[in-house]
Amino acid sequence: MTTSTQGRQAQSGRAPGPPPASPARARPEAVLALIAAGGIATLGLWWHDTPAVHGLGDWLTNAGRLTGLAAGYGVVVLVALMARLPPLERGIGADRLARWHAMGGRYTVSLVAAHALLITWGYAVTAHTSVVSQTKTLLMSYPDVIAATLGGVMLVGVGISSARAARRRLRYETWYYLHFYTYLAVALAFSHQFADGAEFMRSPGARVVWGGLYAAVAAAILWYRFITPARQAARHRMRVLSVQPEGPGIVSIVVTGRHLGELRAEPGQFFRWRFLGRDLWWTSLPYSLSAPPRPDRLRITAKALGDHSRALAELRPGTRVLAEGPYGALTPAARRQRKVLLIAGGVGITPLRALFQAIPAAAGDLGLIYRVSRDSDVVFRRELEHLARERGAKLWIITGRRTDLGEDPLAPGALLANIPDLARHDVYLCGPPGMTAAVTRALRAARVPRRQIHHESFEF
Amino acid sequence: MRRVILAIVSTVAVLVILLSIKTHSAVPLTTPPAAVGTPSGVAGGSGQGSGTGSGSSTAPGGSAGTTSAQTVTGTAAETMYGPVQVQITVKSRKLTAVNVIQYPDGTPRDAQINAYAIPQLTQEALAANSAKIDAISGATYTSGGYITSLQSALDKAGI
Repeated sequence: MTTSTQGRQAQSGRAPGPPPASPARARPEAVLALIAAGGIATLGLWWHDTPAVHGLGDWLTNAGRLTGLAAGYGVVVLVALMARLPPLERGIGADRLARWHAMGGRYTVSLVAAHALLITWGYAVTAHTSVVSQTKTLLMSYPDVIAATLGGVMLVGVGISSARAARRRLRYETWYYLHFYTYLAVALAFSHQFADGAEFMRSPGARVVWGGLYAAVAAAILWYRFITPARQAARHRMRVLSVQPEGPGIVSIVVTGRHLGELRAEPGQFFRWRFLGRDLWWTSLPYSLSAPPRPDRLRITAKALGDHSRALAELRPGTRVLAEGPYGALTPAARRQRKVLLIAGGVGITPLRALFQAIPAAAGDLGLIYRVSRDSDVVFRRELEHLARERGAKLWIITGRRTDLGEDPLAPGALLANIPDLARHDVYLCGPPGMTAAVTRALRAARVPRRQIHHESFEF
Repeated sequence: MRRVILAIVSTVAVLVILLSIKTHSAVPLTTPPAAVGTPSGVAGGSGQGSGTGSGSSTAPGGSAGTTSAQTVTGTAAETMYGPVQVQITVKSRKLTAVNVIQYPDGTPRDAQINAYAIPQLTQEALAANSAKIDAISGATYTSGGYITSLQSALDKAGI
């Protein structure tokens, strides 16, 4: 079934305007360039310190040093990406940061493993001993190597638990708390870098810079992941105002609090929520704002996943709430073109519902495609139709399974039939990972430039 | 999958390129003579260590060339991991013992490498009766320092 609503009158959104000074946003290319520059500087440490390489033992040992240095740097970058630094969260977005983190994490864990193997093998070749006896020597007589080995094993363990296959079998919370072991792993592995790393043993300057890098990232984690949420809790004192069912397993929760404008939340962003009720206090989950934020209230809409679906629906008004955020880069600031198309898949409608109301656009310049598999799963139907009329925006609500429809309504041809000048639009896309990947491919096939596609998946 | 292969290939390529360049870079094994010859003579027999850093020799039975043993300490050769200094025993113009009195052992790694390399070098030197011996792979710097110090001791002993 397809519902199309064409608005009659031109009117821009009535959302409260953005805060006077736009919050700082990091540019993704700039951040990647900075990470690469740091990586090159790290390899430069080895270059500067290594005189010449002779023979197999030296080759292996130095390959081990290089991978070790790169791993030591990679770990810091990975943790920094997850430090909830506001310019990164607003400029790159939690979703993309998480993908960078996952990709970099796999790479760094491989580097850690390669480092351990290459160093052991290289030392064994140089000392003309077996790898087994060299392993014993390394563990027993090299300072802090036992701790570092433990840290390395933990990192590999966390890496395995994050692999796709394992993730499916683990509860989100189990996986999330397992990740905290990486802090311990990094701490355990830290000292062997200075105690055994040739690059640092001989250079106090390198020790200062390296130590400073680790300390700065540790301070950022402490500040943004622990102190800031505590300060926000004390300042805003959020509570549940009301809970309203929207559809099967989907509820909207309105939260009130003081000074909420200071959070500078933008439409399209999300918070990590912790409801201090009986069943939910122990977990914190990301839910998007489903309406433009107001200075006295925020609305989120959640399709609860996992254990707490019922618990969310049974939240009592007055329950205290801790919110970390705002996070996410799917905001009006990402926009480049005059025309905007929003494409939502399933519960991915929530941030786009807020953008549909608040993103500045003239009549006819804004459209929303809302793809849902079953008609009964459609949420916000009345709100969306009302907004479409009020703003002069186009709205397509497309329900039904692809096999029943006979075609993919989000294929390039179908999209272009409805929106011929698709390539001149900014497209905001939010849905399950498979859907966002497929639609991104379709948009690229329809010649929408990559930088005009802004997407977020609501996978954790 | 393509990304994984790309990551592996480019990492290996970077490693190989960096290591190849370092393999071909020629670096002197011991630092220039200015730094050579710090006073030592730590284990120089009965206090023969001279303050100028030149080797000391003992010839209990008279001049060199007699059948009695003669002990000579070589200069300390600075390498990038620390000084190497040997003391040799010569009898009838024949090298009979090499005692290494200084070598880099500040880190477990140095200690491990040199514990293997030094006996090898000594074995080679005794067999060759000269300092014209091969470096031990993996202990290139220690080998260089050893050879330099050994040569200076042999020169003093007149071999």
